[in-house]
Amino acid sequence: MIATNVRRLGLYLMLSFAIVSGSIAWWQVVEAPQLATRGDNPQVIAARRSLPRGTIFDASGQVLASSDVIDGLSRRTYTDTAFTHVIGYSSLRFGSTGIERSYEDILVGQTDPNPIRELVGDVLNRQPEPRDLVLTLDRRLQDFAAAELGGDAGAVVALDPATGAILAMVSTPTFDATPISGDPDVAQEPMDALRNNAAEPLLPRARQGLYVPGSIMKVFTAAAALDAGAITPDATFPDQPREESEGFVVDGFTIREHDLGGIAPALWPLSPALQVSSNIFFAHVGLALGAEPFLAYARQFGFCAPMEIGPSDRALGVAASYLTAPLEGDCGPFTGDVELASASFGQAATQVTPVQMALLAAAIAGDGVMPRPYVVRDVRAHSDAGTPSETVLDTFGSGGGSRVVSTEAARATRIAMVDAVNGELGRLFAGQGDITLYGISNQRAAGKTGTAQLGGEQAPHSWFIGFAPAQDEAVPQIAVAVLVESGGSGSGRAAPIAGRVMAEWLRLASGG
Amino acid sequence: MRIAWRGAELRLLLPIFVLVPLGFAITNVALTGAFDGGPLHLAIGYVALLVGAHLLLVVLGHRGDQLILPAVGAMGGIGMIMLNRLPQDLAGTSAFGIELGMAATQLLWFGVGMIAMLVIAVGLRDDGILRHYKYSWAAAGILLLGATLLLGYEVNGARLWIDLGPVSVQPGEFLKIVLVIFIASYLAETRTLLTSARLRIGFLSIPPLPYFLPMLALFAVVMLIVVRLNDLGTALLFFGTFLTMLFVATGRRSYVLIGLILFVVGFTVAYQFFGHVQIRVDIWLDPFADPLGAGFQPVRALYALGRGGIFGEGLGQGLVTLGGGLTIPYVHTDFIFTAVAEELGLLGAFALLGFAAVLVFRGLRIAALARDDFSGLLAVGLTASLGLQTLIIIGGNTKLIPLTGITLPFVSYGGSSVLASFIMIGLLLAISHKSAIGADGDAGS
Repeated sequence: MIATNVRRLGLYLMLSFAIVSGSIAWWQVVEAPQLATRGDNPQVIAARRSLPRGTIFDASGQVLASSDVIDGLSRRTYTDTAFTHVIGYSSLRFGSTGIERSYEDILVGQTDPNPIRELVGDVLNRQPEPRDLVLTLDRRLQDFAAAELGGDAGAVVALDPATGAILAMVSTPTFDATPISGDPDVAQEPMDALRNNAAEPLLPRARQGLYVPGSIMKVFTAAAALDAGAITPDATFPDQPREESEGFVVDGFTIREHDLGGIAPALWPLSPALQVSSNIFFAHVGLALGAEPFLAYARQFGFCAPMEIGPSDRALGVAASYLTAPLEGDCGPFTGDVELASASFGQAATQVTPVQMALLAAAIAGDGVMPRPYVVRDVRAHSDAGTPSETVLDTFGSGGGSRVVSTEAARATRIAMVDAVNGELGRLFAGQGDITLYGISNQRAAGKTGTAQLGGEQAPHSWFIGFAPAQDEAVPQIAVAVLVESGGSGSGRAAPIAGRVMAEWLRLASGG
Repeated sequence: MRIAWRGAELRLLLPIFVLVPLGFAITNVALTGAFDGGPLHLAIGYVALLVGAHLLLVVLGHRGDQLILPAVGAMGGIGMIMLNRLPQDLAGTSAFGIELGMAATQLLWFGVGMIAMLVIAVGLRDDGILRHYKYSWAAAGILLLGATLLLGYEVNGARLWIDLGPVSVQPGEFLKIVLVIFIASYLAETRTLLTSARLRIGFLSIPPLPYFLPMLALFAVVMLIVVRLNDLGTALLFFGTFLTMLFVATGRRSYVLIGLILFVVGFTVAYQFFGHVQIRVDIWLDPFADPLGAGFQPVRALYALGRGGIFGEGLGQGLVTLGGGLTIPYVHTDFIFTAVAEELGLLGAFALLGFAAVLVFRGLRIAALARDDFSGLLAVGLTASLGLQTLIIIGGNTKLIPLTGITLPFVSYGGSSVLASFIMIGLLLAISHKSAIGADGDAGS
């Protein structure tokens, strides 16, 4: 009879019912919080249409975004276009982006930061109350950095290396988000204009722009090799002086030095090699470190995978930076020693975001501990007064950092970076990053320029990463990455911007 | 014919008699802000149908399974509550001068379905008509399929409907039953002859030709449905039901494996060559890639699940419409489950799945106790069909498998679906009754 087979069938069906139950629970319990904050969730759209929305303030309490309910529809006004790529927009027509999206449920009051109050509110079916956000960004520094970039396309990312609090994050060109967040009936035209603009103003370059880094990657190569013991601060490569003029032959391919501007080649250890930005030296360092450790360190520093700014359930996304051709969401293997040697000085297939490079600088500034970046400092009760309420409902502190290299390795890299800006040889290349030029006396900045060759007739991207103050035992207060698309040499465009931004912050922080 | 008291059935139905009107009342309060009666008469009508069905089974001395009707009644009750809660102009009837809203129309179909169920459960004393005319049934099936191919019109991208004046019919719903009858009869006849025969190629034992040919024929029908009618759900359901019956008839897991391999290969080929299959799969893999375009329905369904959470938003408090439109198109048919999960939460969703599980396991019990192979295989086929249909549509709603446009039995709106499902229940009850009578007869002799 078939009864035995029916019993076996029963087991399979029971298993199927269990699997389907699991998939229901997955969406209703596990994924529910993530779904609740997505901009195209009808619940969010419905709330956004009519509910007042919380105000967003900068760290000093100035209004950056506020809402009015007009004809039953909530409309958003933004006061400062320098913040557009951080705050994003909240449009009745196009959904939301940036902080407007990640913190949507809090801004419209659907989620209470306090779970108990949320439960009570749910049970009593209370009307949601909007809540305000205070950012870690300082409007004074943000506007200053935006003005420094001026009409150029590029990005400035500045953060506190100790906490990961982002102090400024500018992407240019930017746009005014108010027209597309206002009356939904007239929002289409300005949006179309932005979408069709060849300068790509909608791209948040600081987080999502991918650029060849050039020589700023040498900071990573140095720190990783020092930590692994592949080099010491005094280590030299005997063939390097000769190869500076003749070229360094790797697997039959000749790696050539960039234009040293008349500086005579010598047997350079780390500091002078970083000061003159010797490609030959760092090619040797990368090869001494080896392909596998090189990628392993890169992953520790956050390369090879997407990054997040803020707690991961409400993060602003950062594109993955890659050192090699991506493979299955990771950095693929190096194709050979030529690629490894080129990646060691930031060429080959390397593509990075300004945020990633700012975190690299912050990790060196933080004695080898890379902070977790965040942009929202706290949640407050709603205030219509134009200043933040005193009632803090929730605080998003630093998520703690992660150690990426030893203190010793970071310190040795830091000394070389101080020399790169202030040393006899370094001044010729990165001297414009010197903060004393911009009115800060007795303090030193550390840094490294990058001139990312793009091949062909394209002008190179101009880069600078650094931090200040960096002399002796000083505790760095700001780490920066500056990128100017096709801005020419790192020393010409990015270095002075970085120097002025660091100087401005030290002045602001000291209350001057 | 003696009266057969069905105490267990009555006790299990009692909570439904209370909860369905209560659900209507809660919905009424949530939607209007105060209790004004609203469409409570529909809930009372539904209870009356169940009472009537129960009493008729008692009076007519039916000895069949007593858990089936309560399980169906509970699923149908949840369905009625949800359909009453949704906008009533989503569907409905306007014929012969009568205008009925969606819930009222569904209730009407429940009435028709229960009558069909009772007629079959009580009237089908001899299953010869099912068993001996198997090729007539096969011909009827091909006719139904052919009619759909020739006369069918498209709804939501799939060509499944035939217009018959006042009502539209989905032949696929009835084709399902006809196929199950044919396969049960075919397998019952050939099973003893063929379980001993086996061909081995490597580690797979290939079914003997008489098994293999109908399997291939059915496979061809299924692929036709996928490609010509763009109805992946029905195809999966037919083939899954067939493989389940084949497994029970032979006990050979390898036959099922071969069937699955055939299906996957066929599907992969279809994926390569037919754009609409590709689109379905791509949407399934990443619905969030285009949440306002191609992925609109599945994404909105997932949001509804998320909104429901564990406890649900409460009856009448889900986000069914937004700015004048439905938040999920086809919420009353393909996505009724997400509406239940949104308003009644994970607990309600599990309850619904639990009732379906009760139905399935009672169906399997009926199969195991059946007096002959044909009845057993028929019960297995009917049960598998109802069970798989439930699993496929809920799995599709929750992105476990690609989304397909089939109904959730007894819950989704739809006359063809309700009627076909009740016919299947009628057949199950008839088989169950026969074995109960037989067991008594054996004991008495």
